[in-house]
Amino acid sequence: MRSPAVTGILRRLASTKLTLLWMLLLAIGAALSYDNPADTSIWVLVVPMLLLAINLIAAIISNPRINRRGGLLVFHLGLLSIVVLAAIGRLSHMEGRVEIITGNAFSTQALSDVRSGPLHRGALDEVSFVQGPYTVEYRANMMRGLTHSYVAIPDGQGEWREAVVGDDRPLVLEGFRFYTTFNKGFAPILSWIGDNGQPIETGAVHMPSYPLFDFKQSNSWTPQGGEEIKFWLQLETGLTAEEAWVLDGRQASGTLVVNVGGKRTELLPGQSVRMPGGTLRYERLTTWMGYKLFYDPTLQWMFLTAFMTVAGLGAHFWRKLATEPLGLDKVQRNTSNNRPVQDSAPASRSVVV
Amino acid sequence: MTELPWLYAGLTAYALATVVSLVGVGRLSAVTTGPALQSIDEGSRNNERLVLALMTAGVILLVITLADRWLRIGHGPFVNLFELLISQLFSLGLVYTVAYWRIPVLRTTAVVVLPLMWVLGIWVLALEPSDSVFPPTYHNPWLWAHVGFGKFFLAFSLIGTGLAGVILLRSRQYFQNLFRHLPDDAILDRLAWRFMLLALVFDSLMLIAGGVWAQDAWGRYWAWDALETSSFLNWLLLGASIHARTTYKVPIRVGAMLIISVFVFAFITYFGTPFYSEAAHKGVI
Repeated sequence: MRSPAVTGILRRLASTKLTLLWMLLLAIGAALSYDNPADTSIWVLVVPMLLLAINLIAAIISNPRINRRGGLLVFHLGLLSIVVLAAIGRLSHMEGRVEIITGNAFSTQALSDVRSGPLHRGALDEVSFVQGPYTVEYRANMMRGLTHSYVAIPDGQGEWREAVVGDDRPLVLEGFRFYTTFNKGFAPILSWIGDNGQPIETGAVHMPSYPLFDFKQSNSWTPQGGEEIKFWLQLETGLTAEEAWVLDGRQASGTLVVNVGGKRTELLPGQSVRMPGGTLRYERLTTWMGYKLFYDPTLQWMFLTAFMTVAGLGAHFWRKLATEPLGLDKVQRNTSNNRPVQDSAPASRSVVV
Repeated sequence: MTELPWLYAGLTAYALATVVSLVGVGRLSAVTTGPALQSIDEGSRNNERLVLALMTAGVILLVITLADRWLRIGHGPFVNLFELLISQLFSLGLVYTVAYWRIPVLRTTAVVVLPLMWVLGIWVLALEPSDSVFPPTYHNPWLWAHVGFGKFFLAFSLIGTGLAGVILLRSRQYFQNLFRHLPDDAILDRLAWRFMLLALVFDSLMLIAGGVWAQDAWGRYWAWDALETSSFLNWLLLGASIHARTTYKVPIRVGAMLIISVFVFAFITYFGTPFYSEAAHKGVI
């Protein structure tokens, strides 16, 4: 038994006038959040949602029209759960970007643009896969089509399994979702053999996204003990803008133009060039794929809850429509004959629309 | 554009249905009682059959339009405004035709509903019938669920709007005679709100299916882009309207205006977004 004071407070908090007011506030917050403007605080959404949650909890406890009707109760509990799950999701989420060279394993060191909630506890270190080759289909006039990115994933028993990622098929590992993006391109693999006996340095220079920036496939790198080297990649990929085409790094070749201190040299894979401080060798041409990374542990729960919420609403309406007379059955018979209907008394039989 | 003749034929069928329904309601208003009523009765029944036949023909012709276009360009009507409008004309027509057939009291609402559909019809005629390119992220079954639920939402809102329109029209002296054979406003109001309840269920399902699709396609289930923001506001407006009506004694005419405002908001959400946003959904391609 609740004391009259508590009951009074609950009823005030559960006021349907407040519900409408908080809904209006939420609508204003949603309108202000359009396109996620940088100058709009997240609180324009959080405050009305909190107020609505309080209003909902009070209504669920105190309003028999809600808590004694199964479907309506499920609906309101579902709405409350969605708000709670969305909050947990934002607090524990993580997102970022990563570019992975074909043949290389995913590494957390390569992550960029990382954003995460203060309660993020995802085990990204346990995520392991190796990037394989990929293809991207293009229609005429460079309209991007399907992406097929092949990855190899260790199964934990010494074997590897292959998966294809692309477009609306993310790679899901340890709850982290990897999405292919339009951002992908070529990368010459280079080795730097320094003159002063330091170990050979081998790495990849990521060229800008291809074919988006096919006109400026250039980058630069400064080796240890050497001068800044400017690179320009002349690619042969079979690209013709007017015709359908498939981007496939395995079918591409590239000549690397190296420029140090104004001296220009063209290199094919396997060729080297002497320059101040050491020797640069162009090992081979490969590709890189850019992924968007997303983690939210509440996703499945959010889906299930949302579905249950609507199911509750549907069940409530079904029951309501089946049991509350509309007064239409008698009218329908008259209306189907188009006779003027003066009598609008509710019929005794229920009508389901 | 082999589908264009089918489109014109379908729109013609809808146009004829509109004219016949207007004539039918006009004839009903002419006579109240007396010996002429019998012949008016018969004539109206024939009118209704003709409207139903024309709308059915319109729906079938639009199915052929969509199928022909689909076979020609290789994908469904999901991308540009031209094909989206044809698709909506088909789905709104289909749901309304079934309702018209099964619920006789709705038949008079054709004089409100069909002219509204003709807004889409005139619009589609004004557009360049260009082909579209299917984005790679659209190869997803949740797209079908999202679009399908959305079509039911809009169709049920349209039927509710038809009833709300009748309620508001006959509050004017000039139109009273046209709709006097219908049940009183309280019954039309209850029926209209039942369609809005169904609209709320399908609107909610549309948002859920859209979230699942967006998560798979773009790596986020919600991003406050133009369509998402507008459809959420639409859901709130519909929810608040139903909440207000079940909680308070909202006057019938105010309720009718609420229903119409929900439909107008939905219409702007569906078809107005391209005018104030570069991409309907962020990262759409």
